[in-house]
Amino acid sequence: MREQADRMKLKEYSFGRNRNGYLLIAPAVISILLLSVYPLVRGIVISFLNYDMTKSNGPDFGTFAGLKNYLVMFSNTKFQKAVGNSVVWTLVNLVAQVLLAVGVALVLNEKLKGRAVFRTVALLPWAIPSAISALTFSALYDTKIGIFNILLVRLGILKESYSFLGNIDTAMGAVIIANVWKSTPFLMIFVLAALQGVSYELYESAAIDGAGKIKRFFYITLPNIKEPMAVAVILNAISIFNNFNAIWLLTKGGPLNSTEIMYTFAYRQAFVDHKFGYAAAVSVEIFIIIAILTVVYIRMISSEKK
Amino acid sequence: MKKTRLERGILQALAVVIALCSFLPFSWVLLTSVKSSDQIYNTAQLIPTSITFDNFKQVLFQSNFVLYFWNSACISTVVTAVSMLFAVMAAYGFCRYRIFGAEKIKLSILFTKMFPGVLLSVPYYVIMKQMNLIDTHLSLIIINCSFALPFAVWNMCTFFLQIPWEIEESAMVDGCNRFQSFIKVIFPMAKPGISATTLYCFLLSWDEFMYANTFINSVSKKTVQVGIRDYIGEFSTEWGPLMASVVLSLVPVILFFIVVQDNLVGGLSAGAVKG
Repeated sequence: MREQADRMKLKEYSFGRNRNGYLLIAPAVISILLLSVYPLVRGIVISFLNYDMTKSNGPDFGTFAGLKNYLVMFSNTKFQKAVGNSVVWTLVNLVAQVLLAVGVALVLNEKLKGRAVFRTVALLPWAIPSAISALTFSALYDTKIGIFNILLVRLGILKESYSFLGNIDTAMGAVIIANVWKSTPFLMIFVLAALQGVSYELYESAAIDGAGKIKRFFYITLPNIKEPMAVAVILNAISIFNNFNAIWLLTKGGPLNSTEIMYTFAYRQAFVDHKFGYAAAVSVEIFIIIAILTVVYIRMISSEKK
Repeated sequence: MKKTRLERGILQALAVVIALCSFLPFSWVLLTSVKSSDQIYNTAQLIPTSITFDNFKQVLFQSNFVLYFWNSACISTVVTAVSMLFAVMAAYGFCRYRIFGAEKIKLSILFTKMFPGVLLSVPYYVIMKQMNLIDTHLSLIIINCSFALPFAVWNMCTFFLQIPWEIEESAMVDGCNRFQSFIKVIFPMAKPGISATTLYCFLLSWDEFMYANTFINSVSKKTVQVGIRDYIGEFSTEWGPLMASVVLSLVPVILFFIVVQDNLVGGLSAGAVKG
């Protein structure tokens, strides 16, 4: 019986019977292999080659370099700083966005007057392209025309205009605020969707049992939204870590590398300094981190399905 | 569970604060775009006493903005068309046929969507140079497909899973062939998912900045996201026209929002959470 069932199954999956299916997925799969996988492999290969574009006529250009690119990068103090900045950038962004997203979602999940309008407006920053949101914040932070400076000077908090993006003490904070504004709504969508899945009766019976608001949040809301939120948080961490526009368009990683994360550092190695080998080595490290996060993410969504 | 009046008031007030936080930064762009250059630098004119559309006129008629807009529109249209065609085909294939290792292939496709752009940018530069495609729109079309296509395939698969496929079978019993029954029965049902994914694909390509900034050198070939920055000089920035072009560049985004408003939130979050 079992053998027969196996054979049946094999027949179901047979190429002949599903030829059209394979033909239908072929264009997408082949394109993705050519457009994503092939460049990825080539990028990894370049990370092991001497690939300094400024010496592209030199004798050792394109030759095997072993781990040289990686070792040079590891001992580079600017790279070490970029790693530290990446950690700060990712963690602060993530914590701030998660707290804000939960807070905003809890408010917008209540029965409010004009709730639909509030929800749409709250999503607005998400819809704005990242290059545009960076421009928006460069206008807000500007020393001459920026509203922040105008208001702070007028209120007497600052004596004269202060360049938030131009000082090493404030630049990281300033780019993080801009990114929190841009990215929180996306996370909020997930939290809101999760909140809507929590049944109202649970709250009511808890209220009858005398559980206060804070208790209800920690014992009912949080456990119920934990899983979908974990997925969203991982996804969010990937996109924060992978962020280029939010930093490059506001500070280019400056001043004095105070906002340089691994991603912008890799870009600078490639397209400002033309050291493709170094850039590829740093990119591979970014890829490894992203790959770990992605595997966690994929595990989560496939286990949720079961 | 009934809330007191005070609690309701606080919640309503919080909602207003949230709305202000998300809208006010952008309102500064809108305000700046309708000020004359004197007003922009005059702190007494925070809220302008008179408005002008000179900045918009300057952007539309005395700059390359329309050309940049057209470039972006062409690139994004091709990227979207190719990605969606391949994605709908692939999603149908995955849903309706027994593909060996289908689940693994789909998850691998999802994985490719997460590839960091900066890792692909180096080999892409080398490849485009070899193929003589640096400074062409074709290079951007190819690259933008590299992230729009995996997204589209993944999203369409999620949408197609929710379709009751028995309907297709009954249409086939009624004498339609596969293609006819897809067009006549399935397509109308999948339309919300297809339209949301199409528009989102378009925006993915429309928003792209890094590659467009790196691979295009000629002024006439710039895309909107890059071209807007023409107004940022090394020493001074023309804020009025800059903000006006920001507002104009958002036209497709706003259209997108109006069209898909309702099924957007559910559709996109479902694709990411459920798998």
